[in-house]
Amino acid sequence: MSFTVLEPGLQTTIQASARNGMRHLGVPASGAADPLSLAIANRLLGNDLLAPALEVTLVGPVLGFDASFALAATGGLAKVTLNGEPIEFHQTVLVNPGDELAIGSVEVGMRVYIAFAGGLQANDVLGSVSTYLPAALGGHKGRALVKDDVLRTQRESRLTDSLHTPEGFRPPITSRWTVRACRSAETHLLQEKQRDALVDTHWTIGRRADRMGMQLDGPALKISSDGRMPSAAVFPGTVQCPEDGSPFILSVDAGTTGGYPRIAQVARMDRHLLGQMRPGDHVRFLPREPQEAIAELHAKHDYWRKWLPGIERVI
Amino acid sequence: MFLRTAGSIFVPSGDNAAGTLEFCGDDLLSIHVASPADAQALAEQLRASGAWREVVPGIDSVVVQFDAAAVTINIASQRVADELAQGIVATKRSDVLFEIPVVYGGDFGPDLEEVCEQTGLTAKELIALHTAHEYSVDLVGFTPGFVYVGGLEDVLHVPRRKQPRQHVEAGSVGIADGRTGLYALPGPGGWPLIGRTTFKLFDPHAEEPFPVRAGMRIRFVSVSAAEAGL
Repeated sequence: MSFTVLEPGLQTTIQASARNGMRHLGVPASGAADPLSLAIANRLLGNDLLAPALEVTLVGPVLGFDASFALAATGGLAKVTLNGEPIEFHQTVLVNPGDELAIGSVEVGMRVYIAFAGGLQANDVLGSVSTYLPAALGGHKGRALVKDDVLRTQRESRLTDSLHTPEGFRPPITSRWTVRACRSAETHLLQEKQRDALVDTHWTIGRRADRMGMQLDGPALKISSDGRMPSAAVFPGTVQCPEDGSPFILSVDAGTTGGYPRIAQVARMDRHLLGQMRPGDHVRFLPREPQEAIAELHAKHDYWRKWLPGIERVI
Repeated sequence: MFLRTAGSIFVPSGDNAAGTLEFCGDDLLSIHVASPADAQALAEQLRASGAWREVVPGIDSVVVQFDAAAVTINIASQRVADELAQGIVATKRSDVLFEIPVVYGGDFGPDLEEVCEQTGLTAKELIALHTAHEYSVDLVGFTPGFVYVGGLEDVLHVPRRKQPRQHVEAGSVGIADGRTGLYALPGPGGWPLIGRTTFKLFDPHAEEPFPVRAGMRIRFVSVSAAEAGL
């Protein structure tokens, strides 16, 4: 009842729910960078929405199956083949002993999620099985998959229903993103024209883009900062700007406190989008007051609840 | 509108001149406090209520994250205001003292020379100052086990690097803005690095994964690379 990693891909990890309630000890959230795609894949298999699954980054793995499994792929656009034949995203797929699943390069978006009926077995560390690579926590031995790793599901990977994601519930994957953002604690260190530049600029995701965060390439922002800000809490979606004026967005594995000015905060409802942004993509910030962003969060939950009951645990 | 107004949404009554409350996101509230000790104490009090997703103290602030799907902004703000109205009860000073061995300079402290230039100290003077007295831990945060040690001598107050390093080795010892920072893990980091320690700040499989906590005391001891086993 296992499958073997024949090729590991660029960075394939097991991700599930976030590691919650431990930021005061410096323990980051981790979990799927795009939790909505993880939840959809799990939904197709009747799993808990945040059951452990594979998060594939840019270049996918090749998996060889020793038993029958039911699985589903969601997220970034990539060619996925079963024994050389293409398979569709957003639907349940049955694989048999001896089958080979190959996930190719992700062409649009950053990450593909492969979930398995029953959910993957993984190590629970500090309240979550999600992999946090810098401290080797959770997942499969705390690390990205390597060739010849053998993975198992928590129970027999049996399919009860053959499902596909309905139209309207397949999150669009693009290379031009818009995310709602609110002001943060040091937004006032940007003068008015610089605040305008923050929201008017089509930022480019820089080459430094990973689960920690993403550099934003664009005009240098002038910020009244002397590098002596007392360290304060930061979160996934926090936009920080060091003295050199090059802002960056924090993602799921980012540290929990930081000393660079916090100039904006991506609204909760759009944080899942950060997990699909890749170097070269464009992103704009859509300004929102906190009340407005929360009203839109409620509307988004109401929409998604129709297909994903429990969505408020996901986004 | 957005980004054109910034600052407090309200200041709670009472004599706590700190205690300014402001949004730093649609589900994040920041409370300004007077000291790291107050930040720790208030964070403990807020965490005890069980009403928050996260309660994260900083050097002079506490940020709480609330579940915006379940709790309104007004209720979240009111909960913080109520806690502030109770007053911040400082926690007792810890008796625990850790000696942290540090290999200063060279490859282990690549910014030591630059810090010497900035401060006008020789390396020997800098090391003597840094190891001269006891400090207390202001904050644990950033990454698992990262420790912010307060009380650095004024002359050693240097700013963070203008651009953070993409990679800092585990055990790196940095100084910035009046504090010493101990990097428990490898990863990106913005503090000028003066040395490295082999002291284990985080062990997820130990009974106590985080041996060093806020309020505990620290003394740095200068050792050679051979003594440290580096």
